[in-house]
Amino acid sequence: MLPELKRDPVDLIFSALTGLASLTVVVIVMGLFVVLLLESYPAIERFGVVGFLTSTDWDPVRESFGALTSLYGTAVTTILALLFAIPVALGIAVFVTEVAPGFLRGPIGVAIELLAAIPSIIYGMWGLFTVAPIMAEYIEPFLQSTLGRLPILGVLFEGTPMGIDLLTAGLVLSIMIIPFTASIARDAFNLTPPIVKESAYAVGATKWEVIKDVVLPYSKKAVFGGVVLSLGRALGETMAVAFVLGNNHQITTSLFDAAATITVTLANEFTEADSDIYLASLFYLALILFAFSFVLLAVAKFLLLKPQEKGVNR
Amino acid sequence: MIARWRRLKGFTALGLSCLAAVLGLFWLFFILVDVLVHGVRALSPELFLQDPVPAGLPGGGLRNAFVGQLLITSVAALIGVPLGVLGGTFLAEYARGKPLARFISILADIIVSVPSIVVGTFVYALMVKPLGHFSGWAGAVSLAIIMIPVVLRTTEEVLTLVPWTLREAAFALGAPYYRVILQIVYRAGATGILTGILLSIARVAGETAPLLFTSFNNSFFSVNMNEPIASLTVTIFQYAMGPYENWHQQAWGASLVITLFILLLTIVGRMIIRWRYGKR
Repeated sequence: MLPELKRDPVDLIFSALTGLASLTVVVIVMGLFVVLLLESYPAIERFGVVGFLTSTDWDPVRESFGALTSLYGTAVTTILALLFAIPVALGIAVFVTEVAPGFLRGPIGVAIELLAAIPSIIYGMWGLFTVAPIMAEYIEPFLQSTLGRLPILGVLFEGTPMGIDLLTAGLVLSIMIIPFTASIARDAFNLTPPIVKESAYAVGATKWEVIKDVVLPYSKKAVFGGVVLSLGRALGETMAVAFVLGNNHQITTSLFDAAATITVTLANEFTEADSDIYLASLFYLALILFAFSFVLLAVAKFLLLKPQEKGVNR
Repeated sequence: MIARWRRLKGFTALGLSCLAAVLGLFWLFFILVDVLVHGVRALSPELFLQDPVPAGLPGGGLRNAFVGQLLITSVAALIGVPLGVLGGTFLAEYARGKPLARFISILADIIVSVPSIVVGTFVYALMVKPLGHFSGWAGAVSLAIIMIPVVLRTTEEVLTLVPWTLREAAFALGAPYYRVILQIVYRAGATGILTGILLSIARVAGETAPLLFTSFNNSFFSVNMNEPIASLTVTIFQYAMGPYENWHQQAWGASLVITLFILLLTIVGRMIIRWRYGKR
């Protein structure tokens, strides 16, 4: 495709320069893995892999560390966030692509994207000063007096509602990831060929049946990719969660308890780590988080490959 | 009967989707109004012109954090933008269509979403631990690391959109490839690249996590990039978690400024895209 030019020396230099610049991406990824691995090596050596992942200890005084409490907090907040976010995000995508009149589509799309642009620290501020009091005052007591009475579900809603807990963190997190899921789902829905939808309408399907039986099956892989991407985002989100989760290394059944995620632990304790093994354990947590989200995002990227990208890409 | 049932089902489902959209808009307005209401009360000339007073005393401002934020973000842009633009150029031009370009561009897409706090720990290990102190440089480098893949990917995409025939016209005149890139391709893609840069700045301006253990914080006015340096976001975190009412006030003020700044950049960026590349 390149014309057979006599290569100009300046051109060689320029191409080398751009090539090196693009390699920074590779260097960053490799560097992240290597550096985090090296830094966490003392902790890996001392606690092992399985031992670290399954230990609930987080005791800087006795210098005994384990990741399970942080992993638990991360898992619970992420699952809550996905539970809240996915239905809303899909609803928004359906609305924007199929239901909304033309003049509304643009503005609503923009509004959702603005929601994605708001930095996470703002979500944190809002969560701490506005959402948490509302949760403590109204929503959590309400949940406690209704769902909390149920025999098995009840354990989820025990304790004194303080607002700084897993439930609030999950809620704030879900609002943060709605835009990602929604915009990917919207793009996926838009890829459904109109002709297929029109055929369904022609045989008498209602709009909802077209969405459910044509658009969703057609785009399910991409939608799933969007969900995995949001999962990756939710896992690594720091500030929004740090404000409203407390930082309490415990495994609790109640959603009204403070907890810790990997990110919150890092944010709160990294600068305070006073021993080498403490710092190494924190690096170990960072490594786990990085490895995990890297794999998830790679999977999401694979699922989101557009059909035309799979073939030869010019 | 069945037809009515199907209509009812459809009606309910579509109604729920309207509800979801309303809910999405509701959160956006809730957050914006909340930040606006709290933030406007905290806005005053002192917020921008004075440095913090000792904890617990009334008065003072966040001049140090505004200046620090500006400094860190600018240096990050100075590092990140050239690397990102040049890297994107390589992918779209010299390596176009090659497996290497595919690989790097997928990798960039992945690290765009890697948790930013991990980048903070990485730079801590590289620049803070060996030197023994936090520094503004470290903060700028971590923001640059977040910026590079964003700029790189947008540059790549913008340059791919520039018609190949344009380059052929220039080749036909005997221009070497680097001249074609610098004088033809960049010119055709300038607005797109600029938009990418704007959006990447919007992205990093609100980042907190990577600054926590790199540039750290500083309650005094400082422009020395070799020392810990205050940033708006870290200050918001510290002040919001602190016990003093006027700290909270100032944190809200800073939140408002940063939100408006980022939303402005984002909206301008989107408007340029729409104006330049048509409705999408």
